[in-house]
Amino acid sequence: MKRETKDAIKGWFFVTPSLMFQVLFVYLPLAYAFFVSFHRWNMIRPMKYVGLRNYIDLLTSEEFWHSLYVTFIYILGTVPTSVILGLLLALLLNMNWLKGRGLFRTMFYIPVITAMAAAAVVWNWLFEPNVGLINYIMGFFGIAPKKWLNDPHWAIVALIIVGIWKRIGYNMVLFLAGLQTIPRTYYEAAMIDGATTFARFWHITLPLLSPTTLFVTIIQFIASFRVFISVSVMTQGGPARSTEVITYFLYENAFNYLKMGYASAIAVIMFVMMFAFTLLQFKLSQGKVFYQ
Amino acid sequence: MKRPPLVIRLIVYVLLVIIAVAINLPFFWMVITAFKNEADVFSMPPKFYPTVYDFRNFVRAFQIVPIARYLVNTLFVAGSVTLLQLVFNTFAAYGLARINFKGRNLIFLLIVGTLMVPPEVTLVPLYVLVRKMGMLNSFKALIVPFMSNAFGVFLLRQFFLTIPKELEDAARIDGCGRLRILWNVILPLSKPALWTMALYTFLAHWNSYMWPLVAINNDQKQMIQVGISKFASMWETEWTLQMASSTVAIVPIIIFFFFVQKQFVEGISISGMKE
Repeated sequence: MKRETKDAIKGWFFVTPSLMFQVLFVYLPLAYAFFVSFHRWNMIRPMKYVGLRNYIDLLTSEEFWHSLYVTFIYILGTVPTSVILGLLLALLLNMNWLKGRGLFRTMFYIPVITAMAAAAVVWNWLFEPNVGLINYIMGFFGIAPKKWLNDPHWAIVALIIVGIWKRIGYNMVLFLAGLQTIPRTYYEAAMIDGATTFARFWHITLPLLSPTTLFVTIIQFIASFRVFISVSVMTQGGPARSTEVITYFLYENAFNYLKMGYASAIAVIMFVMMFAFTLLQFKLSQGKVFYQ
Repeated sequence: MKRPPLVIRLIVYVLLVIIAVAINLPFFWMVITAFKNEADVFSMPPKFYPTVYDFRNFVRAFQIVPIARYLVNTLFVAGSVTLLQLVFNTFAAYGLARINFKGRNLIFLLIVGTLMVPPEVTLVPLYVLVRKMGMLNSFKALIVPFMSNAFGVFLLRQFFLTIPKELEDAARIDGCGRLRILWNVILPLSKPALWTMALYTFLAHWNSYMWPLVAINNDQKQMIQVGISKFASMWETEWTLQMASSTVAIVPIIIFFFFVQKQFVEGISISGMKE
């Protein structure tokens, strides 16, 4: 047998199982989501073709736009804050005279590895309106207690706080890696020229860190767009639909109302949007991002 | 850079300690509450120390909720998925990194392309598929769809590419087949990458929530995260029990993390991806 043929057989032998699983459990379901989105189906009676009906219903329903709006507020609340705080922590930990860096990094990273569901149960308790720790601590600063998860205005704020808490450590680690790539000589040159700490940060660190910043921002944007667990455990989309983000809207339609076609249309729209975000990331970063 | 004056350094350390405490406050509070008696939970101002020095809340939580069952299920599922992924991801990664054949790049794109498809999008059709295959409410539903993962394949492939080809050529001249090479040459050199991948996979499945929530509707088969959060929503004001069960779901992972954190943190800075 020719070497080429042999290699082809061996190559396929190694990759086929994995490829098969991806096709069966990702691509097939993805195609099926498109298919179901053109049908009306409650999983009990047979599917009925309805054309673009689900999409029209969706785009003209107030609930859909409301869920997008809530998701957008959540993104706006979590992304910039968690990126900035992550950067600040990374800058603090990057100081070369600092001792115990590893321990601090680990402490800051714990929320990232913790299960969101179990942590959300704990946050329920922290946000408890009468005897919760957060209202108690706020009392020290003279801030009136809030009803948090029972208040349509504050529930989303509570979720945003939890979201930020969960991501800071992740952003910090990526920024720390980004900071390592900035050559030390730049800073030394700037010091000889008499640049202040702030000037060094503004004219060296920030511009050279911008690929990392972009990467972190888009990763967090997509993560926020997909928020589900904290909503499911802490608010179930309430009170008064004030925290009904898009994934929860999808979940409710699929598994509470059994509107599979309608839910699939939501899934397809989510997919298109996330696809666009990811392409934007590739386009903007163009190989500048630092994976090996 | 020169060291700033002592005062500045002290301020930075104090600041870092405050931040570390603030970030981990939910966990301290969780553990303290898990060691309080019913009445002390509702005292105002709150008590910042435990008031019972035994595990009674844990014992009660384990009696009311099948937490032990959840733990066993979760260990079994996360462990199985991890082992299977070690096999299938390694195979695919090796084929993609080391064997030249037609269609290789397309296959790589197809596998990595699944990272563009978030699980929320395929939630409904995957549910339908798994139901059709008769796997709902069984561990198969939690294991079979996750036997290989694009992130794992990508991570391992990147690592295999860094291993010098000469090592492999030497083995081939000695008459080793591909499987022997993978086992005797590549794998021993790839331990850090394999560890990282295994840890990520295990953690992702220990923490998984959305899929078991829809795929499992049987308390005896449930995973820990869904199990304890369902319990929490049923026993709304039983804070001591809720915190005891959350402690069981969270603390083992934190302790584990302290031992393996280097792998984790390196993992994300290599790949820039999570879960």
